[in-house]
Amino acid sequence: MPQLRGPGILDTETRLVARARAGDTGAFEQLAGAHADRLFAVLLRLLGDRGEAEDVAQEVMLRAWRGIGRFHGRSLFFTWLYRIAINEANRSLEKSSRRPVSVSIDAEVLQVPAGTQDEPSRRAEHAQLRQALGKALAGLPPDHRTAIVLRDVEGLSTQQAAQIAGVGQAAFKSRLHQARLKVRAAIGDQALIDAGR
Amino acid sequence: MGLFSRTDDHQWSQQHLSHYVEGDLGRRARRRLDRHAEDCADCGRGIRAMRALLRLIPGIEGAQAIRAPAGIFDKVRFAGTQGTDDDGAPAPPPDA
Repeated sequence: MPQLRGPGILDTETRLVARARAGDTGAFEQLAGAHADRLFAVLLRLLGDRGEAEDVAQEVMLRAWRGIGRFHGRSLFFTWLYRIAINEANRSLEKSSRRPVSVSIDAEVLQVPAGTQDEPSRRAEHAQLRQALGKALAGLPPDHRTAIVLRDVEGLSTQQAAQIAGVGQAAFKSRLHQARLKVRAAIGDQALIDAGR
Repeated sequence: MGLFSRTDDHQWSQQHLSHYVEGDLGRRARRRLDRHAEDCADCGRGIRAMRALLRLIPGIEGAQAIRAPAGIFDKVRFAGTQGTDDDGAPAPPPDA
């Protein structure tokens, strides 16, 4: 979770923001670098293409660096950074007029209960499920995919996710519920129930 | 006779399964779905499927496995100075 923080971490972040605003690239890299892995994972989920996600991630950092003067600490730094990332990902998708073919779901990171991992048939089922989930997410409109990635994959609160998506909480929840219904329909009830056991 | 027909209840329930498992329904709406799901195998299965989906989706997250590329700050280092968006792209939003 990107929002792991305590008062000390917030103090550090405030100091780093001040130094970055004064033109210290090292401070900016420390500040934004703390969120880089999560940010890149989000971009990968949204874009479904590692090369494109890498390009967009660089662009996000550049925009954040150039725009750090507009960040006044009224929200958490990571929500501001993520908002730039969502905007850039959408811009990239619009530019290429495409949807990701599939959202990558790595075999090693799907948290399958330990006891079932040795069973070949269960592994095959979970591989199929990963593929189905990836395709279902990729088939969603970008704003629906964003809702699921921020809220259900990243585990952000509705308030944070809505802020990042740039909409009110009611509108965000509406997107999220619609998105979940679409994913459920794409995968099928029985497949979900079996995989969730 | 109830306020809603069984067909109304079914369609409404199917549209509100995510709200239900998220706890986003008010007391009366929740009771409406509960009552309907008691007699509707489809909606009962839908609730179980939605709960399973919400358990499974966080499992795709890759915090430990996905690493940002080494060159993620290359453009920052190359650009050096701040405050110059010169390609017509929207500037980053101010924080709320």
